[in-house]
Amino acid sequence: MSETTTATPPAGSAAGASDGGGKGPGLLAGPLGRNLGLVVALLVLCVVGALTAPGRFVDVDNVLTILRLAAVIGVVSVGMTFVIIGGGIDLSVGALVALSSIWATTLATQAMAEDFHWIVMVATAILVGAGAGLVNGIVIAYGKLVAFIATLAMLAAARGLAEIIAQRRTQIVQDRGFIEFFAGDVLGIPTLVIIFALVAAAGWVLLNRTTFGRRTFAVGGNAEAARLAGIRVQRHTVWLYVLSGVCCGIAAVMLMARTTTGSSTHGTLYELDAIAAVVIGGTLLIGGRGTIVGTVLGVLIFTTLSNVFVLNNLSSSAQAVAKGVIIVIAVLLQQRLATGGVRPRKKARGGGAAAPGNPAGALPGGSATAGGPAGARPGDSGGRPPH
Amino acid sequence: MSAPERDHGTTAVGRPTLELRGVDKSFGAVQVLHDVHLTVYPGKVTALVGDNGAGKSTLIKGIAGIHPFDSGEVEFEGERVTLHSPRDAAKLGIEVVYQDLALADNLDVVQNMFLGRERKRGVLLDEQSMEVAARETLAKLSVRTLKSVRQLVSSLSGGQRQTVAIAKAVLWESKLVILDEPTAALGVAQTRQVLDLVRRLADAGHAVVFITHNMVDVFEVADRVAALYLGRVAADVPIDQVDRTQVIELITSGRSGDLGLSAEDLED
Repeated sequence: MSETTTATPPAGSAAGASDGGGKGPGLLAGPLGRNLGLVVALLVLCVVGALTAPGRFVDVDNVLTILRLAAVIGVVSVGMTFVIIGGGIDLSVGALVALSSIWATTLATQAMAEDFHWIVMVATAILVGAGAGLVNGIVIAYGKLVAFIATLAMLAAARGLAEIIAQRRTQIVQDRGFIEFFAGDVLGIPTLVIIFALVAAAGWVLLNRTTFGRRTFAVGGNAEAARLAGIRVQRHTVWLYVLSGVCCGIAAVMLMARTTTGSSTHGTLYELDAIAAVVIGGTLLIGGRGTIVGTVLGVLIFTTLSNVFVLNNLSSSAQAVAKGVIIVIAVLLQQRLATGGVRPRKKARGGGAAAPGNPAGALPGGSATAGGPAGARPGDSGGRPPH
Repeated sequence: MSAPERDHGTTAVGRPTLELRGVDKSFGAVQVLHDVHLTVYPGKVTALVGDNGAGKSTLIKGIAGIHPFDSGEVEFEGERVTLHSPRDAAKLGIEVVYQDLALADNLDVVQNMFLGRERKRGVLLDEQSMEVAARETLAKLSVRTLKSVRQLVSSLSGGQRQTVAIAKAVLWESKLVILDEPTAALGVAQTRQVLDLVRRLADAGHAVVFITHNMVDVFEVADRVAALYLGRVAADVPIDQVDRTQVIELITSGRSGDLGLSAEDLED
């Protein structure tokens, strides 16, 4: 009974608010409207939490717990946002988190950290993430492998490698300084949350205020136009996956601090959580559009949802169902906005609209319904004079 | 065969912006361009005509550095140059406006005009100055059809998209602007606007190569006409030396009166 009451209000309010954004005059108003919808959804979720679990939900410690949980997956999602806007997908993020955490906590690395400084562990994690991202990027950009397959292979291989290195054992972080630094807090705010905030802020600047971000949009929106404009599309694609790998390395460090271990089971299913957060944050799976703010809100919504469920003693299975429903609703809304706001142009859109269903994988229903309206488009655009 | 014809142009306007001499290009066993000679002058519109498969697209892709030529000489403003990539071409000041309009739909007008060459202040983008420059360029071309330079390109009409693509070439002060069938998909009024724009482009001193199938367009804006026939240049002459029937003959048979390819060229 209470399952339905908790699950429905956020979804309903997200629908209302996003519709409002879609009706806005210019397309530039779109992202703002969508983010507003996410804020409203988050607020509704908080209200539900406060009503169903009074005292426990509205509590500084609980809020910090939500933020701390959101921080790790949030950092991964920021990297994922870049990859998806650039027209790709990275399924290997969870495995890269595991591999980075294992590599950074091997006896050898920890011995070096002991001799020198715990920064060695941080550097190792980030370098391993970046290296694996580099492999992803090269295979995709120069090997012309579909991103879905290449990163799926990396998902399997990286976690396997992590198991081999760790011999399936959990590795304990010995360095006190490391734990104290990352598990501590500054003026009451957990270091992990501060790192998340810094990564998100850096990501926002990189995406919106630098040529790298501008070119990411161009590569994801129209790779051919980007190439003709003199952008080195392949090299740019490689950098996108390296960036995602670096984010995984940072997330691995954060996870090592939170759990005081490195483990080959770290980050399991992070790829799905990250993609879900990015998608409900308004980033188009076909690339070319998306925001960091939306992704951060998406992460917070999912983490808060889990928190509310846990506080109400609901099973994680019920959580999973609610998550699935929210993803489908968000993607359906997004498709409406994408095809409703932009005039259908040539076949590219029809072909592209079918594509997001594939990488998403988990949402066959969503992609099938999306295919419907897209397929119908040529019919209704036929009435208009061709341009 | 084309050497004497070229002299007509030279006496008229001085140093050519682009000169191709004996350019060949093959794709595998298929030779698409044979010994192509072409001269393009600043301030002049050269119409490049030819039937489908005559090699027009291959020729401009060679000039744009997308499919580099196999052999032959390319001179740009009197200097020998090599064109191996779109970057080489862009560096020299060659801008190609493609038929399918190489614009990113998800970016706005300013972002598209500066794509690949964004202005920066330190490491950050200088949006203010890019927006001002885009607006000034559009004003210089007397473009009044755009509501806002912050409109997404996906919301523009075909003519407006052409305008943006052409304005991009002007913004970069390209010395040579190549337009690939810019009026092919446009209505009457929009075609008019684009042709006017092409004329203003040449009057501003840019060398313009204008690919088209439309004879009306050719005689409306072109100063010179170059006809391709099966990968060879049948003629490269000032527009006042030919009439419409001759141009059509050059396109369809490679010869017209004393103009065009010699009999042995036509045979192999």
